[in-house]
Amino acid sequence: MIPSKDYLIPSKIFGLIVSLSIIFFDVESSYSILFFLFIMLTIGIPHGSIDHLIAFINPKTRRFQNKFYFFISYISLIFFNILLWIISPYLGLFIFLIISCYHFGETQVLGYTTTDNKFLSFILGANILLSLFLNNIFELQEILSSLSFFSSIDLSAFDKIFFLLLSISILMISIIYSDVKRKILLYAEMSIMYLIFFHTDLLISFSLFFGFSHSLPMLLMEFKEMKEKNFIKFYFKTLPFTFLSILFGIIIYYFNSDLLTTDNLILFIFIIISSLTLPHVFIMKDFIQNK
Amino acid sequence: MFNFILGVSLQPGDFTGFTFFIGSVSMLAATVFFLVQHGQVDKKFKDSMLVAALITGIAAVHYYYMRDQWAAGLGSPTELRYIDWILTVPLMVVEFALLTGVGMRKLFWASVVMLVTGYFGESGVTGMLDAQIWGAIAGLAYFWMAYEVGCLTIFGGPSGEVGNALAKADGKIPAAGRMLQWFVLVGWSIYPLGYMLGTDGWYSGMLAGLPLNMDIVYNIGDAINKIGFGMAVWSAAK
Repeated sequence: MIPSKDYLIPSKIFGLIVSLSIIFFDVESSYSILFFLFIMLTIGIPHGSIDHLIAFINPKTRRFQNKFYFFISYISLIFFNILLWIISPYLGLFIFLIISCYHFGETQVLGYTTTDNKFLSFILGANILLSLFLNNIFELQEILSSLSFFSSIDLSAFDKIFFLLLSISILMISIIYSDVKRKILLYAEMSIMYLIFFHTDLLISFSLFFGFSHSLPMLLMEFKEMKEKNFIKFYFKTLPFTFLSILFGIIIYYFNSDLLTTDNLILFIFIIISSLTLPHVFIMKDFIQNK
Repeated sequence: MFNFILGVSLQPGDFTGFTFFIGSVSMLAATVFFLVQHGQVDKKFKDSMLVAALITGIAAVHYYYMRDQWAAGLGSPTELRYIDWILTVPLMVVEFALLTGVGMRKLFWASVVMLVTGYFGESGVTGMLDAQIWGAIAGLAYFWMAYEVGCLTIFGGPSGEVGNALAKADGKIPAAGRMLQWFVLVGWSIYPLGYMLGTDGWYSGMLAGLPLNMDIVYNIGDAINKIGFGMAVWSAAK
């Protein structure tokens, strides 16, 4: 087993430095999309683009006899997810949120406790996503204004601080009743993350969390577990499927561009991301088991 | 010269602004000190030192912003103070749990109740009850916390689980615990006092005739409380 601090602490400290730099230099929101794309292309997608290699690393949880079965299962899950979104977008979104909560929580507990408690992983992941949304709720309300339920809620009486207080209170109550070995440090890290969510916009908040608290630690963990000596060589192994993922998105966009409007573009992005996420979550669950 | 870090410069003679500046740099210096000491102390105190550094680090960032807001003539930075307190108060109370290994649940609940009801009273966002009642609930939570950590034992009074554990702990922890209890009892009293004096409908009129600026009280009080809290923990650890 790799000591968790080897890959968790450097990436999180680096993320903290990037976050504080963005906050201090007051980066304009017009750069948010560029920052989001940069993080997704350089860290986000690459951390999931060697699933075909890491699926065979942990002998205790190995499920596939060979690469053929792996790819069949992997691609089937992607198509199953797309089908789900076509049949029922709300069900697609619901399942995407559920598995995202679990997946984010599972990697968040690394270094603080074991990953055996699936419910705990889900609760902590749900906490993170809830805080991300709460601390950017006015922005989220504008983005989702087409959903009448969400746009009709009157939040004008509330300050932004109320939502920070709410998210911190929910976090405290969750941590109190959770079975975590290093509760206080986990609480400390997550409360600082929520502070960053408060001070940055939705895209930057998500990019910082996804890039430096989730993807980069996982990428470094994959690098160590694959016993590669050179990180650059390891990183090159992530590129083929990173490009394929981007190509997948471009092709689907190209064939649907006449149907896509500003309103449903967000839905489209959700479908692409969730389709890539669903099989990745199962692979990562096995990969980090017993870590 | 163009300064890309500090948006606005303080005016000469601006004593309140100067205390924001002092707050920011002293918290930053304390953060560096606690991080350096984190590597020097025994393993069982490392988490406590890290939390002490986080408390002053978060405060340093917010005092930097508060100084900027004050220097720009935008008035008292109440919002930024609240952001700072929401994050640092729970971290301060968990220092007790880190030193004793007990009471985290009670202390977290007390801080949730104190912060939430304090906010409700000051903002009036709920439209229910008035500032006095919300303030009284927040005050009760504060006294519950003070009882739990053993502040009343200073006067020979009873103590909660955490206070008892502090008294029975080994080494320098009881002495450090006593310092922390003084900080909670005396240092933290500026916050309910500030609430009562600064919230409309309570004692806000009392400040009108006094040459007292609550920002100065908060700035000096915050620096003493947060840095002092960390120093007390460090005194147990060194």
